[in-house]
Amino acid sequence: MNRFKNARLSTKLFATLIFTTSIIFITITMVTFLIVRDLTINVQKEKASLLIDTVKPAVSLALFLGITDIGEKVSTVTQQKEVIRLEIADQNGNVILDYQPYSAFSPYDMIKVSKTLIEPSSLKPIGLITLTYSGEEFSKTMDHFYTLYGWVLLSIFAILWIMLIWINYLLLPIKLIANKVRNFKPGEKIIFDIPYAQAEFIQIVHAFETMQERVLEYSTEIETINKNLEIQITEQTHEAIRHLYYDNLTALPNRLKLQEDLLIKPINTVALLNIDDFKEINDFFGIDAGDWLLTQIAHWLSEMKLSPYRLGGDEFAFRLSEELSPLEIRHDIEILLSLLNEKLFMIAEETVHIRATVGIAIKSDKPLIHADVALNKARSIKQPYSVYDQSEGIEQRYQANIAMSAQIRQALIEHRIVCQYQPIISCNSGKIEKFETLVRIKNEDGTLVAPNDFLPISQKTKLYHHITQEVVYQACHLFATRHEHFSINLSGSDMSDSRTVSTIENILRQTGTANRVIFEILESEGIENFDEVASFIARMKALGAKIAIDDFGTGYSNFENILKLNVDILKIDGSLIRSIDENPRHRIVVEAIVDFAQRIGIDTVAEFVSSEEILRNVTDMGVTYAQGFYTGKPLFLNPQLM
Amino acid sequence: MRSLLLLLIVYIVGAADESFVLNAHIRMIPKIMALDTRLSSKPPSFKATLAIVYDSNQKNAAFSIAEQINKVHNGKVSNLAFSATAYSFDELVERRDIAFIYIVPRCNSQLVKKVAAWGIVHSVPTFSYDVTDLEYGILGSIAIERSTVVYINKNTLKEGKFRFNDILFQIARIIE
Repeated sequence: MNRFKNARLSTKLFATLIFTTSIIFITITMVTFLIVRDLTINVQKEKASLLIDTVKPAVSLALFLGITDIGEKVSTVTQQKEVIRLEIADQNGNVILDYQPYSAFSPYDMIKVSKTLIEPSSLKPIGLITLTYSGEEFSKTMDHFYTLYGWVLLSIFAILWIMLIWINYLLLPIKLIANKVRNFKPGEKIIFDIPYAQAEFIQIVHAFETMQERVLEYSTEIETINKNLEIQITEQTHEAIRHLYYDNLTALPNRLKLQEDLLIKPINTVALLNIDDFKEINDFFGIDAGDWLLTQIAHWLSEMKLSPYRLGGDEFAFRLSEELSPLEIRHDIEILLSLLNEKLFMIAEETVHIRATVGIAIKSDKPLIHADVALNKARSIKQPYSVYDQSEGIEQRYQANIAMSAQIRQALIEHRIVCQYQPIISCNSGKIEKFETLVRIKNEDGTLVAPNDFLPISQKTKLYHHITQEVVYQACHLFATRHEHFSINLSGSDMSDSRTVSTIENILRQTGTANRVIFEILESEGIENFDEVASFIARMKALGAKIAIDDFGTGYSNFENILKLNVDILKIDGSLIRSIDENPRHRIVVEAIVDFAQRIGIDTVAEFVSSEEILRNVTDMGVTYAQGFYTGKPLFLNPQLM
Repeated sequence: MRSLLLLLIVYIVGAADESFVLNAHIRMIPKIMALDTRLSSKPPSFKATLAIVYDSNQKNAAFSIAEQINKVHNGKVSNLAFSATAYSFDELVERRDIAFIYIVPRCNSQLVKKVAAWGIVHSVPTFSYDVTDLEYGILGSIAIERSTVVYINKNTLKEGKFRFNDILFQIARIIE
């Protein structure tokens, strides 16, 4: 069926024609055959019947009269050559006459007609006359019929064959059009040179030509659009590449370009140049001026034939020849920095001197990282430049920091952040009245990591707040079951973080330890973030908590700030206490602090009390509380950790 | 002797032939009577009379023929009930119920003529054993020639206004 669906149009037409013609022909033939056959038979029968009728009365009468020699009376019938047999029988079946002029075997179909012989007076049946009539005429008629229809069939097939050829001929233009259209390509013009065509094909050709023109128009338009698009794409690609690989401000190649350029060779020598105190220039002259300055620096570095890259912010990089020795490189960098120092840059008609720090990685497989390490080192040691030295292990330190960060994160997840508590005794009574909470990381092997090893890293990795919240939680829940006061160290960022502050407040409310908790903050935090620290102190004091200034006495201690912050305790820095019996200056400072505290009515705590003598000294000086290894080492108060 | 023997043979053959024909007449005459269309229109209760007419010399033969007819046909032919009775001419003319007349063999021609005339007048079909009697006005006779032939006298048919089934005329030989 699908094969027929997909067949050629001419095949379909021809098949339909054959099918229709066959149906019509068969129907007509059958009907005609039946009509002719019946008609012929009926005619023959009628003839036979007529023949019987001619003799039937005489035969009937003869039979009625008992006349048996009736051959003469039926001579009109028997003389007919078509009569094959005439049989007359009486009512009892006795054959009166059986006339058979020919053999019973006839090559033709025979027609037999029988009639009942009727008694003339009473009309009762008295016998039967049977005439067997030759079917020769019928057979001949039918033979004529078959011959005629054979010829008709032959003619029809001939006509169909001619029609097939004609249909193919008529549909030839479709093939020509299809072949032309099949090879059509946009932009080309097809010429439909059809030798002849009917109106329908002319319409198709016109339609294709119209379509061609439109396709041509559209393809021209599309081609134009494509060209414009290609131009735009090329421009945008260039622009994207420029954005991707070049700095917008200075038009210098950026970090990505440098990284790709460094991939060309396995070993590179790279220098990173960072403008010192550029933030101050931005703050002082404004960002636009800062940008202008960066542009000038980029231009100057280009003038120096350094082929500089801008890595971001105030950091530039340039590659150095590997053929230079380290000494030559150092020399060149020193000259460069010297020239940069001497260079005057103009910002809003003001001259600005620029200093820079350079980190150098010589023949390094990770030149950017190593140069950055060297730059950090130079900054930390406050040198104008530094060359990366693998033996210094800086990179290993970075690796250790990364490992520690992961360790802290894992400890938080596995609840291995634990607290030890160092006793704080009253100098007057010698009794433990307070504890300072000291955080530790408990390794899986049970060893403890000191806070100095992980707190600085946690501050840089934004994990500090989580540690603070954990410490506050553990300490508050522990001391909820005890009577002593306890202190917890907070950083400036803790106090600035609203989520941490809210968590602390919630924990204090839940555990009811607000009136026994002391938050230790560094004095420097109060100076740098005074408003936020003051707000935190106010909120905690409102709950009943106390505030202690930790490590007081070092740096630039400002008594006015202490007054403003309304603290409750000053914890004197251990560096003053540790040598108080040896260093008279420290003793004077401690006395001054204690005097100040007593005058404003707040307590003092001496840290690092490591001997009986120190305890006696601080007690004599009027320090309220003492804390140190002598008075008590940090210990676990939680029974599960003891 | 030879002549006597020959005469005897001729007589025997003639007698046999007469008997053969007479038997044929005995079978056929009532049937021809039944072909009279006037009788076929009679009610079923009607009983026709077939008169076997004889002259004085043939009385026994007539009665014999009448008896044989009645015996052969058993008083009925086709749908017609009938009775064959032997009558002399005198008896015949007295009767009014005669439907058909058959004249026995060897009657004299005068009798034949009279019966024929009476038949015409009274429109009673008359058949005779002897075909030659048709010359005297008898309506018909049956001859056994090469085949059985029914002869009909055309003139008598017209004069007597007889009505027979048309089929009879298809096989009968009409003579003038």
